[in-house]
Amino acid sequence: MPDPQLTVEDLYVRFPTSRGTVEAVNGVNFTLEKGQMLGIVGESGSGKSVTAKTLMNLLPRTAEVDGNIIFEGDDVRAVAKERRKHFWGVKMTMVFQDPMTSLNPVKRCGEQITETLRYHLGDDKATAKKKAIDLLEQVGVPEPSKRVDQYPHELSGGLRQRVVIAMALACEPSLLIADEPTTAVDVTVQKRLLDLLDGLRRDRGMSMILITHDLGVARGRCDDVAVMYGGRLVERAPTETLFADSRHPYTEALLRTIPRIDQPSHTRLEPIAGRPPELIDPAEECAFAPRCRYAQPDCLGTIPPVGGVRGQHEFACFHPANTDRGRQALDANLAAGQTVTGLQIQANAGVN
Amino acid sequence: MAGTGHAPLRDDRDILLTVRDLEVEFPVGRHEVVHAVSGISFDVAEGETLGIVGESGCGKSTVAKSIIRLNDIKSGSIDYQGNDLAHMEGEALRQIRPDLQMIFQDPISSLNPRRKIRDVISEGIAVWGNTKGSWSQERIEELMVAVGIDPKFGERRPHQFSGGQCQRIGIARALALDPKVLICDEPVSALDVSVQAQVLNILEDMKARYGLTLLFISHDLSVVKNVSDRIIVMYLGKVCEIGNADELYENPRHPYTRALLASIPEPAPTVDVSEGDIEGELPSPIHPPAGCRFNTRCQHATDICFTDEPVMQQVGDSDHYLACHHPVEVAVSVV
Ligand SMILES: Nc1ncnc2c1ncn2[C@@H]1O[C@H](COP(=O)(O)OP(=O)(O)OP(=O)(O)O)[C@@H](O)[C@H]1O
Ligand SMILES: Nc1ncnc2c1ncn2[C@@H]1O[C@H](COP(=O)(O)OP(=O)(O)OP(=O)(O)O)[C@@H](O)[C@H]1O
Ligand code: SF4
Ligand code: SF4
Ligand SMILES: [Mg+2]
Ligand SMILES: [Mg+2]
Repeated sequence: MPDPQLTVEDLYVRFPTSRGTVEAVNGVNFTLEKGQMLGIVGESGSGKSVTAKTLMNLLPRTAEVDGNIIFEGDDVRAVAKERRKHFWGVKMTMVFQDPMTSLNPVKRCGEQITETLRYHLGDDKATAKKKAIDLLEQVGVPEPSKRVDQYPHELSGGLRQRVVIAMALACEPSLLIADEPTTAVDVTVQKRLLDLLDGLRRDRGMSMILITHDLGVARGRCDDVAVMYGGRLVERAPTETLFADSRHPYTEALLRTIPRIDQPSHTRLEPIAGRPPELIDPAEECAFAPRCRYAQPDCLGTIPPVGGVRGQHEFACFHPANTDRGRQALDANLAAGQTVTGLQIQANAGVN
Repeated sequence: MAGTGHAPLRDDRDILLTVRDLEVEFPVGRHEVVHAVSGISFDVAEGETLGIVGESGCGKSTVAKSIIRLNDIKSGSIDYQGNDLAHMEGEALRQIRPDLQMIFQDPISSLNPRRKIRDVISEGIAVWGNTKGSWSQERIEELMVAVGIDPKFGERRPHQFSGGQCQRIGIARALALDPKVLICDEPVSALDVSVQAQVLNILEDMKARYGLTLLFISHDLSVVKNVSDRIIVMYLGKVCEIGNADELYENPRHPYTRALLASIPEPAPTVDVSEGDIEGELPSPIHPPAGCRFNTRCQHATDICFTDEPVMQQVGDSDHYLACHHPVEVAVSVV
């Protein structure tokens, strides 16, 4: 089997702050095959963007990073200074939620793309302009030769995001990281942008990491989905397996808490009790334990390691959902009416 | 597209609020206006939850704000228990306003950061007066318990609470005035999926407990379906379709409603995914298209759609109305 295109090993990221050290990413491991679309989901603060920024070398200087990142044979954390402009933005690029993060408000759209081309690839002016119009056309911007001369504020949010995607694709990257690329746009625009990214990925054999808080987007678009919680990757599986046969209690809880369009109106939702975990001085226990319906005494002693079948269905839990061990744990807790952390639980209903 | 026509207005139920031919414009530049809401009519029965969905800029917030008079109304009426809110002023409006409360999208910035949350919750009383005698220390505590905030945290300030907790505090604050109508403008859009359910369940509980009537605005079709009895779909300042929540999603007839339902990541089973491929950009609300406002992007448009505005009409004899010259025929599924 060939090496994966991307390997992330034991990645840790910490931010020293006046309140203490924020342990944002805590031992993340994953691989990505060429041409694959990997979704990363998880609630706010779970470490999705920090992971992506680490890959892109975009963390602030204060961040303390540990671990290995290998991309197409290169040690990403040791790319020599003079190679950087041929690496980030060329082989590996990123699209952010807010297109204005990437666009300069006082420059015409065309110029922003030609600058990217000239800086990274050394194209001359005429070639760059021609490529820019082609790119805008490919990403479905209507009347591209007119749009190159417009400023970002003259475009709708959806069109701006297309310009950003055009910029990201300009140097024909082999990996595109998209961090909530459609969170700020309407569903009809979202569908068009995701169709676009999907098509480009297939045409170019490009790999993608799609970060989203929308489980529907992950389910509809990704080959594999990884779930983050408290700076850890708590479950990863091929998309259908993850949704149909989840193992981590957090994944299961997330899937049950969202309203579904195929349920009748006024279907009672099952909330997830409690709050996201502390990232400063976290306890040496499973970070989900205070909110987990399955929690047992052993969950409070150690942090569960990632188990399951490597490269197929991985999860970090001592009493996984949809297994005998998990069912026993849940039944015992239901009988007691509460878990080892004192969380009150009832059958067939969420906890409040 | 019409919102013209009064077909969806009901006379056979306990109607609490009736919006008739509401029109709102905002001036832009020197001589132009944004046609934010262009003649829409709907009503809300007592104890009902009316959902409003539609994409950014279609006029959802403008409808909500018009009802509580946060923006100027060009024409139309808003009947609330025999009073026309659109034309009330001064003391009369002041007397009635506590009955209609609103909660907003951004839970944290809508709460005064310097005040203790106990004071935040009773804030409305200071503004509107204790007209119903509803205010008391016990009542505030009761509300805190009801929305799941421990009263012992009453001395804390908003920044010490999470987004979901702040939204619950916002709900308690709105309820402190003992309103009859609660208008919720994207109340869970800024919240993490993991806490949305807590807030949605609390809204359902409060509705049952305090006999509230809800107007619930969201761009999220699944969320709106979950909380609503009846739903309005809006596009560019007009109403496309109104109906019973389950009926509307099972039997969508308006091309725009169908496009929305086909665009979500896990499309509704009642539509074909290709219906979600709507072309082109949203037209400018300063120069909206003549005839049906959806005509520039509609797969079914014919000549008449560019000249005549479709009027609201009933679908069969169910609680289902739409404004379209060519409603999509759907095969009746035989189970
Ligand atoms: N520069 C920084 N200094 C201190 N803490 C940081 C910094 N950047 C991120 N963090 C913290 O790291 C944690 C993970 O943040 P991250 O942005 O990766 O979350 P996320 O999963 O992307 O969440 P969201 O869904 O809200 O975007 C958060 O607690 C965040 O506050
Ligand atoms: N104060 C204002 N001045 C000028 N235009 C306005 C004003 N308020 C709203 N608009 C415009 O009126 C139209 C309707 O806006 P509204 O805020 O009601 O939309 P919405 O459906 O609530 O959208 P969103 O989902 O983005 O909140 C939009 O075109 C908007 O730009
Ligand atoms: S069962 Fe234990 S290890 Fe698994 S998620 Fe719950 S608390 Fe964590
Ligand atoms: S068929 Fe005509 S009236 Fe109906 S939505 Fe399309 S353009 Fe509007
Ligand atoms: Mg993020
Ligand atoms: Mg709005």
